[in-house]
Amino acid sequence: MSSIELDHVSKLYASGAYGVRDVDLTIGDGEFVIFLGPSGCGKSTTLRMIAGLESITSGDLRIGGRSVTHVAPRERNIAVVFQSYALYPHMSVRENMGFGLKMRGVARGVIDGKIREAASLLGLTPYLDRRPAALSGGQRQRVALGRAIVRDPVAFLLDEPLSNLDAQLRAEMRLELVKLHRRLGRTIVHVTHDQVEAMTMGDRICIMREGRMIQVGKPLEVYADPVDTFVARFLATPPMNLVPARLEGRDDGLVVRAPGLDVAVPERHRDAYAPAAGREVIFGLRPEDLHEAPAPGLQKVEVTVVALEALGVENILIGQLAGAGAIRPVEIAARLSRHYTAPVGATVPLYLDARPMHLFDPETTRALPRPRLGVLQP
Amino acid sequence: MRRVALHLGLLLVCAVILVPLLWVVRTSFLPESMSYSAELMPAATLDNYVALFTSTRYGPSYLNSLIVAVGSVVVALPFACMTGYAFARFRTSGKAGRFAVLAIQMLPPVAIVLPTFTLFRMFGLTNSLTGLIIVYAAVNLPFLIWILMGFFEGIPVDLEWAAMTDGATAWGAFWRIVLPVSLPGIAAAGVLGFILTWNEFLFALVLSGPQTATVPVALAALQTSNGVQIAKVSAGVVLAVLPLVIASRFIQRFIVQGLTFGSVK
Repeated sequence: MSSIELDHVSKLYASGAYGVRDVDLTIGDGEFVIFLGPSGCGKSTTLRMIAGLESITSGDLRIGGRSVTHVAPRERNIAVVFQSYALYPHMSVRENMGFGLKMRGVARGVIDGKIREAASLLGLTPYLDRRPAALSGGQRQRVALGRAIVRDPVAFLLDEPLSNLDAQLRAEMRLELVKLHRRLGRTIVHVTHDQVEAMTMGDRICIMREGRMIQVGKPLEVYADPVDTFVARFLATPPMNLVPARLEGRDDGLVVRAPGLDVAVPERHRDAYAPAAGREVIFGLRPEDLHEAPAPGLQKVEVTVVALEALGVENILIGQLAGAGAIRPVEIAARLSRHYTAPVGATVPLYLDARPMHLFDPETTRALPRPRLGVLQP
Repeated sequence: MRRVALHLGLLLVCAVILVPLLWVVRTSFLPESMSYSAELMPAATLDNYVALFTSTRYGPSYLNSLIVAVGSVVVALPFACMTGYAFARFRTSGKAGRFAVLAIQMLPPVAIVLPTFTLFRMFGLTNSLTGLIIVYAAVNLPFLIWILMGFFEGIPVDLEWAAMTDGATAWGAFWRIVLPVSLPGIAAAGVLGFILTWNEFLFALVLSGPQTATVPVALAALQTSNGVQIAKVSAGVVLAVLPLVIASRFIQRFIVQGLTFGSVK
């Protein structure tokens, strides 16, 4: 049993500022959970509180059902992989990996066996006698992982372990970590500010902002139904388009109106959104819900091309809504096919699929309740 | 042209610093009678060095200096390491504590030398190497704490966190990780403490006796009623500078090394 329960955990600093505020979360045994958020949001602090490296001001922390709020890090049997790797520079790779077991008084022969096993798993066997300074970034990262693995901890806490690697290596290690999780079956808490890592690696994402955990859920659920504009914008690149608008009632239903935008609310959302008719709202739509060609059910909108970013696999169009009367023209992004072209400055039609649309309250930034789309898996 | 001017300037600075030193070296190899000669090297002899060790108490003083300097560093370093680490990592005694440590260092030695003398006489520590070791350890401690604090602050806290999650206690992390990683800094601090003690004159003059005089005191004793024996003084100075030259080579090597490389990033 290695579930981790954070029971209304808070971290209050001496300055009176909250590092983490009332986090309530249960991480199941063997689960792979991602803490996602911008820097300074409290995700690393939460991780350190789980590890015991940061004291908990209020609330309770339980690991495997046992309260460990006041238990020293060494007695929690949790392994941490730091962003900086934190390898002991005066020790060889072998000594680095064996340090934790040595501290626990494990017999030398057993330590050697476990090091060999972990080293072969991570491809570190040829480097066992090197010092960290003589390793590449990727190898150091593996040593840090190896150091965690040999201890056979109840949970792994990974604090942005991939952020110092180059893009290619990062993609490889991402896959390695997922495989490792499958193989070891241990609980993993992975802190990151990288949306791709968040979407692809974990069973669940916990999005943090200003010390609070604002949304927890499966990656695709969070993607499909963000609780507020922050989550809506944070989870993808380019982020969700947000357009200040007004929800108006018409005889035949509801319509979202903004300069250059006139979107009929799909029937499935009408009942949910009806109470907000006549109010200011923020209209949200993901760039992939804008298309270059008309199709049944799609609604036309005209934009002036500001930029077209060719990414090879697709083209991202950044355009201004072409309506008159806007004080500050709103820019929106659309994910279009790689064959799409349009000159900068031209006004082009796009066709939007309003079914996955969102409306947010402009004051609270919270999403207006509507039927959940659920997982949009094929 | 600018480079030439720069080098000429540097040469000039070097000359200003080196010529007096070289002149002392030259004088140390001249017979006393020729020591004020304007000629570059009118004669060469080792008499001054021989006389220094046969007719004065320079030899025992040299040994005293070595014992006191090494002893005071050995006594002060453990305290400096622990206090410096506490200052660097914890909120131990806050800013006021740190400032107090620095303030003690600012105190002019002459203000504490007489109270120290009175205290030491009470405990029978005057005219003893133990007394000198204690006083130098105490006087150098704030300086060493300050240096080591800076060094410990430069060590990523992740290393200690890693050790603590690996099963080490806070002390274990300090002992097994922080100290080995800080060895260059500790060595540098030790060498600086050695140099400070080696050069110190006032405390040595007041607290030592004929048997326990250190090198600076022994050199001062060469100023006799017959005048300053400049050739012997020069020989003494040359020998006195020797350990410092060696020590500074050490410091340079240790400081440049920077051992934390490779642990993070």
